Amino acid sequence: MIGGIEIFLAIILLSVLFSLTSSRMMSLIKLMALQGALVSLMPMLLELESKMHAGGIILFAVMLTIKALCIPGLLYFALTRIVIGREVEPLVGYHSSVAVGLGLILVAAYIAHHLNISVEGVHTLVLTTAITTLGGGLFLMMSRSKALSQVIGYLMMDNGIYLMGTALTRETRSIYLVEFGVLLDLLVAVMVMGIILNNISRAFDDVDTLDLEQLKD
Amino acid sequence: MLEYIFLLPVCVGLVTLILPPIFGRIALVATGALHLLLSLKLWLAGGQAYFPEFFGKAHPGMLVLLLSSFVFAWTAPYAVSYMRQRPTKYEAVFSGCMLLFLGTMSMAALAEHPVVFWIAIEATTLASAPLIFIHRSKQALEATWKYVLICSVGIALALLGLFFITFSMEGTGPDIPLSFSSLHKVAPLLNPLWLKTGFIFVLIGFGTKMGLAPMHTWLPDAHSEAPSPASALLSGALLNCAFLGIYQVHTLMVLAGLGAFSSNLLIGFGLFSLLVAGVFILNQPDYKRMLAYSSIENMGIIAIGTGIGGLGLFGAMLHLIHHSLLKSSLFLSAGTIMRTYGSKLISQCANMPRVLPKTFCCYFAACLGIAGLPPFGLFVSEVLILFAAFQRGLPVVGLLFVILLILVIAGFAQGALRMALGQESEVQGALRPREKVLQFLPPLALLLSSLVLCVWIPEPLRQVINDSIVLLGGVIHG
Repeated sequence: MIGGIEIFLAIILLSVLFSLTSSRMMSLIKLMALQGALVSLMPMLLELESKMHAGGIILFAVMLTIKALCIPGLLYFALTRIVIGREVEPLVGYHSSVAVGLGLILVAAYIAHHLNISVEGVHTLVLTTAITTLGGGLFLMMSRSKALSQVIGYLMMDNGIYLMGTALTRETRSIYLVEFGVLLDLLVAVMVMGIILNNISRAFDDVDTLDLEQLKD
Repeated sequence: MLEYIFLLPVCVGLVTLILPPIFGRIALVATGALHLLLSLKLWLAGGQAYFPEFFGKAHPGMLVLLLSSFVFAWTAPYAVSYMRQRPTKYEAVFSGCMLLFLGTMSMAALAEHPVVFWIAIEATTLASAPLIFIHRSKQALEATWKYVLICSVGIALALLGLFFITFSMEGTGPDIPLSFSSLHKVAPLLNPLWLKTGFIFVLIGFGTKMGLAPMHTWLPDAHSEAPSPASALLSGALLNCAFLGIYQVHTLMVLAGLGAFSSNLLIGFGLFSLLVAGVFILNQPDYKRMLAYSSIENMGIIAIGTGIGGLGLFGAMLHLIHHSLLKSSLFLSAGTIMRTYGSKLISQCANMPRVLPKTFCCYFAACLGIAGLPPFGLFVSEVLILFAAFQRGLPVVGLLFVILLILVIAGFAQGALRMALGQESEVQGALRPREKVLQFLPPLALLLSSLVLCVWIPEPLRQVINDSIVLLGGVIHG
């Protein structure tokens, strides 16, 4: 059966692939907003059948605001402040990146099918998407030299981990307060990274991490 | 209510961020002293958590808490003298973040819920990042960027590991709260496959933060570029907090009957860290980087001791305590040396005994201690770990341990001796600055407390060490 969940998952997968090909920083940020929104809506969709607590609804509202509005907003702010060529400047070409992305989906599907999790089918798909997003984020961090795209890679990886958490802990053992703390950490992390980026761009006139190679043994 | 121990520095820190710098100096010293008193009170008089599902008094956590608090209490006055001599526009940020750093570390030490622990550890990264690039130099910015990015990714992987561990609870019944102590109780029922996967991710994740090779790449940069008071805290307190996470999950693995798996991984990573540290300490031209690599070495030793178990666990705990005290003392002395000579290069710091006699005594004694020579505590702990290796039938590990230690000591001795006996350079010959009390007293106090602990371990401390290792089958008397 193709339902809302599957469509959401497909869009998340596409957003990962698309972010690997996009050459403009601006479209990467927009993609992160979309992905953040979809990822934070996932638990709602998965739990539609079960009863939602009031605390849960508040948490998802906050999460949606932070992941889809605050964080992309901060990134946009950073982008306008820093001296930056707005091209992504990949170390690995766009076409090869997409090939890697497709390969990731295959590997993720293989892993998800071979983990013997005794739960129904939809979880396997969530797991596949989660692993792909995680891997895609890591790949983005490694294959792009601009510091801002590395932050975006980190965020994507974080989305993947969050999805994985959603798939694995559907029985909601986790307490809302705890999830809120994780979210706060993420927000502050992006803020701190933005401040460092701003300083790097002032000191180096660019935010290319290839310039950051003075410290070594 | 024991939450006040981390709420106090966090609240004072947040206020300090917006108040004028002079307030920050007072707040640093006062909060440091008060925090130490509160920690001692918690040790001796006890206390209950207001949120028992999130926070508690786990024994290894108490040890880490007191150590962090003690190191901070002595670092704070040093930081005040540091700020006086190297004024910066961002002094309020520096004081505020130091306090936030202390608060988040205390929170990690007291955390009972795995995800709360994770939140605290990630928060330590974020609170300490502004400390590293407080002087806004290019090198410091590079170090901070690596620190924040590598550690954040590492810690994110640890969160994934914690999710796997949570998932291993499926089938143990729905009414078990997620906390370290209740996980320890149901350990044999947990799904071993997910537990193993979880441990690998946690080890890699928190291992990044702890500085285990090959995930250590951020550590030498961050520890050498940070201002000395921050380096002392990073090395002397933060690494222990990250180790705490690995230790808790390792305990879980042992109780679940998977101790062999996690022990082997710990020993493997530990030996590799020793190797990497040994290779990079040899001919290291920069003394702060030398100290940073020595931190990697010592974290490796702690991992090995934990992995070996038995008497080795006692050795690891002793090593943790003495490493914190000696290494923070060394970094504080290194700060004074750097301000006097204006360089981080060993070759530039000639004739130290005449230029900085008091600091030199402190620095050189702590160097001997950190290299593991008697009468210092690290000698005792290394011998204990070595005994344990042979006692538990791991002669190859014992042998490798000794060979790698010799490599590290050789490198360290080379650096320390060049600083002590180096030829008089013409630039520094005439210079003889006055050493202020605030500059040499904190490192001296940390050094002396390590010396005192070599000959006399107070009863409560012995009790806590015993309680934290007994769950893993560790013993104090072999």
